[in-house]
Amino acid sequence: MTPRVSPLLNDLERDALTELVNIGVSRAAASLRKMVGGEVLLSVPSLEIIGHRRAAALIQEREGDELVAVRQEFGGAFQGRALLIFPRANGMELVRAVLGEELTPAEAAAMEDEALAETGNVILNSCLATMANMLERSLTMSLPEVLRRGGLSLLQTAEPVEDEGLVLFLYINFSVQNRSIRGYIAMVMDLSSLETLKRLVGEFIDRVMQDDIEA
Amino acid sequence: MELGTAAARLPRLGGPVLEVFARSGLSLLITDPGQPGNPITYVNAGFTEMTGFPPEEAIGRDCRLLEAPDTDPATAAALAAALAEGRPGEFELRHRRRDGRRFWDRVTVVPVPPGFNRPGFAMAILTDITATWEEGAAQVALRSRQEALDKLQERLRAALSASGVMASWDWTIGERRLRGDARFAAVYGLTAEEATSGVPTATFFSIIHPDDQARIRLAVGGILRGAEVFSKEYRIRLPDGTIRWVHARGRRHEAEDETASRFTGTMVDVTEQKRVEERLRIAQTAGGVGTFEYTSGYGTVSVSEQFCQVLGLQPAQDLPLRTINALIHPDDPPLIDPAPPPGAGCIRQVEFRITRPDTGEQRWLTRRGEFLRDIETDDLRFSGVIYDITASKRGEETLRRLNDELEARVAERTADRNRLWRLSAELMLVARFDGTITAANPASAAVLGWTEIELLGRDLFELVHPDEAAATRREFAALADGAPLARFDNRCRRQDGSWRWISWSAAAGEGLINAVGRDITAATEQAEALRQAEEQLRQAQKMEAVGQLTGGIAHDFNNLLTGIIGSLQMLRTRVAQGRLSQVDRYVTAAQGAANRAAALTHRLLAFSRRQTLAPAPTDVNRLIIGMEELVRRTMGPAIRVETALAAELWPTLCDPNQLENALLNLCINARDAMPDGGLVTIATANASLGEAEALQQGMAAGDYVSVAVSDTGTGMSPEVMARAFDPFFTTKPIGQGTGLGLSMIYGFAKQSGGQIRIRSELGCGTTMSIFLPRHATFPTEEEAPMNAEPASRAGQGETVLIVDDEPTVRMLVREVLEELGYHAVEAVDGAAALLVLQSDIRLDLLVTDVGLPGGMNGRQIADAGRALRPGLQALFITGYAEGAALGQGQLEPWMHILHKPFEVEALASKVQQIIRQAEKPKPAASFARGA
Ligand SMILES: Nc1ncnc2c1ncn2[C@@H]1O[C@H](COP(=O)(O)OP(=O)(O)O)[C@@H](O)[C@H]1O
Repeated sequence: MTPRVSPLLNDLERDALTELVNIGVSRAAASLRKMVGGEVLLSVPSLEIIGHRRAAALIQEREGDELVAVRQEFGGAFQGRALLIFPRANGMELVRAVLGEELTPAEAAAMEDEALAETGNVILNSCLATMANMLERSLTMSLPEVLRRGGLSLLQTAEPVEDEGLVLFLYINFSVQNRSIRGYIAMVMDLSSLETLKRLVGEFIDRVMQDDIEA
Repeated sequence: MELGTAAARLPRLGGPVLEVFARSGLSLLITDPGQPGNPITYVNAGFTEMTGFPPEEAIGRDCRLLEAPDTDPATAAALAAALAEGRPGEFELRHRRRDGRRFWDRVTVVPVPPGFNRPGFAMAILTDITATWEEGAAQVALRSRQEALDKLQERLRAALSASGVMASWDWTIGERRLRGDARFAAVYGLTAEEATSGVPTATFFSIIHPDDQARIRLAVGGILRGAEVFSKEYRIRLPDGTIRWVHARGRRHEAEDETASRFTGTMVDVTEQKRVEERLRIAQTAGGVGTFEYTSGYGTVSVSEQFCQVLGLQPAQDLPLRTINALIHPDDPPLIDPAPPPGAGCIRQVEFRITRPDTGEQRWLTRRGEFLRDIETDDLRFSGVIYDITASKRGEETLRRLNDELEARVAERTADRNRLWRLSAELMLVARFDGTITAANPASAAVLGWTEIELLGRDLFELVHPDEAAATRREFAALADGAPLARFDNRCRRQDGSWRWISWSAAAGEGLINAVGRDITAATEQAEALRQAEEQLRQAQKMEAVGQLTGGIAHDFNNLLTGIIGSLQMLRTRVAQGRLSQVDRYVTAAQGAANRAAALTHRLLAFSRRQTLAPAPTDVNRLIIGMEELVRRTMGPAIRVETALAAELWPTLCDPNQLENALLNLCINARDAMPDGGLVTIATANASLGEAEALQQGMAAGDYVSVAVSDTGTGMSPEVMARAFDPFFTTKPIGQGTGLGLSMIYGFAKQSGGQIRIRSELGCGTTMSIFLPRHATFPTEEEAPMNAEPASRAGQGETVLIVDDEPTVRMLVREVLEELGYHAVEAVDGAAALLVLQSDIRLDLLVTDVGLPGGMNGRQIADAGRALRPGLQALFITGYAEGAALGQGQLEPWMHILHKPFEVEALASKVQQIIRQAEKPKPAASFARGA
């Protein structure tokens, strides 16, 4: 099962990026564990770099139109938008897992957006901050925003989309308090940001390769 | 140097087992029984430690290196023998260290059986048992040592076995130490002590295949930097040099103190699995089999690319359970049931329908899966395959539906048939092969006037018209012989005695004939009426054309007759006056006028198509020149006629009379298109058509002669052009056009192997071009009767029989022939001619009219003559050729024709030519090829 080859990153670079995100979501899991006071496991089984349209089609095909997303803009060495996307039912699950079972459905519904924004912030922030940290760059992030849309429009929000816009598309598995929740992280970046990212990832690889030689 | 060699040789000699022994701290010695004196070839560090002999001092020495004078010679000899012969054994004897000190040595000889690429040998393990020997506790120590050894060997076996966990590790991140269990030590070639006490973490990568290094370093790098899960497949090199695939799984364990965090994991040998997987993958791709693995409780399923393909999804390695199950028909079981599994070892197979998201198509799939208990995690995994069974399912489906419907269909068909039988307007009969009618439908009353009852038991042939009875019987016989179907028409007698034309379709089955008949009387009558109407029309057209022609030439003809009559009168006057010197002038004038009159009638006859039709080599230019005058007259004064004849025009093969006819028709059309006058141009040209051009024109490639008639008239609209060749298509008022002119020209051109083309534009005029295939040669001169050669004298005694009912013609011919020196015999009719033919007088030629009184025509006389005298040549002199009498188309070689009126010279040269040619090939039997 060889992963599809992205034109932009070579195999090793993609492996490295997957690893970076894995570090990020592991940090996020640790933060979530503290938040919910229970077992949280996050993993990223796969990563793809694809065009907007295909990314949208992918979500649409797998999840249909009932989606909820937390969006944050990021800027710095590389910039773009990061989205944490769930099937709408899964989003609610996550809220319940985070807020606890005692809440009535009404209470849960009232707090849903807030809880989602908070959880999304933890995950996206951990992810991106960790990545930036690992890449030895700084990164700023906007406040989270909750969106409810179909897959197709979700990725094509905001200002007129540059045609060459690509999506770093990650599939993540959550296991929160023994609930299985699935979601996606989509990082929408333009080509120049991706090229910067590629360069930084290259440097990261070099550093990792030095790991034991210092030891 | 020697040490290095030996050390290098060790793995090759003993493989990983020995290496582990060597590092185990035991004292070890290997000899080479293949060399004289069985010298020592290897000692390990333990040996040196025990005896004080470094390898360089021991290797190459006699195996009895350690013997001392006080060593028991018998035991020493036995030990040496065991080493030399590779026999197992245990010996206890006093040995001497390098420094001279004695010790009790227990020597265990372990034979190492021959292996790949190396001979068998024996290895000695030396144990210092001085203490126990001296303390008397030797047995206890020995047993414990033995146990330790067994355990070590057991571990090795476990470590090196291809199945199960190969090794486990524990990496302390802050401390940068890597520890492992005994299996880890074996895999990494470490001593047990090293593995337990820890090695630098870089060791982790030391056995990883260079191609996988970077990838694994990255993954481990991720863990060291905070990632939690590690799961990778990669290749490692074992101490014995073999390469294995392993799957390593690990986790980062976070500790309160960051530096105390650990990375632990296990690796499993998956080499075999990899190979199988690869083979499986190939098989799956080829067979359209997709695989999946689902760990109970997870939201996603890991799948193969083929899996996605079978389902019609974008390729992915992991798919949400929901995505997969959402494709499945609501009435069918899910592909993967998220409900708690029934337990390990359970095999499940289901069939279900999916709707492919890529094509929207519905497909049938089968899923086969098995529940397996994951040894590592204790998870229950559901692992299986899916494949498409739509094709077989559809077959099944169709079969079942067919079965279900069969009965219904039978019933329906029966009802249908009954309905048909009763309601059909067509006659339906069931009859035996002999014609006995066994059933008839109600339509019989309407069609034939006989009721169903009246027809029952009657003989069908009583009803069939005698003219068609035989043909009908033949069809019945064919059906009886097994012909599947017969179609025939016959007349059947109605009850009122009239005849009806019935068109039958009949089939045989179960010894009976089932026939369906349609009354086509009306249609037949209509067709006949139509045919007659057509015939009349054609006749009308012909008459019209003749009228057109005669209208144009009557004036000319009268002129010519005036000339002839006038000349003859003048001739008589001058002869009476005795002014003979002026006679010749009038004869010439009369002759010229008569010749032109003859030409005119010739054309007229040609046009009315009562000429014998035969393709012949034709000079088109000459033909046009010959008819130019006629055309001009026909066109009238308002129309100018020009010719543009190509020089060196190729000859062509066609019926010249038909061609004339065609050209005249084209000219008449041109005239009709120019009511206010204009220009008609007749042009000829050579045309060579290449493949491409020919294809475009719908002709065969090759050389053609084209004859084009152009006018400056009204032209044709595209609609008219498209239909111009259709029979009966005309735009002219009734009585003027027949619509047959162009259709006949078309037929002529096609039959001659050519083509006709229209180029026309409304208001600008029309060009009609006839293409005729090129012929090799021009017509021979003698076929042009108008230009006869001067006659020469006949041979000795050559005799000609002349048959004609017209005495003047007989007289004329006779005189001409006698002038030429032939004998001539006359006969007035067939009977008289037969008498001559039966006699034994010499006959070289029969010259006969075709139309004769008295029952026999010229052709019949000729046939009778040839029966009596094979090889007899015949010359028919005729005003117009009776086509039927002379046979259609090409004439027989012995038949010759001369059209009346003819010039005397033409007759003379024709007769001479025939007789001369007939004489050439002897004997007379080969006349047939003469002409
Ligand atoms: N030279 C021409 N110019 C214009 N139309 C023509 C010409 N030749 C033939 N046509 C058209 O083709 C039709 C069919 O011609 P044809 O078959 O010869 O029958 P007919 O002359 O009796 O009508 C004519 O009625 C006329 O409309």
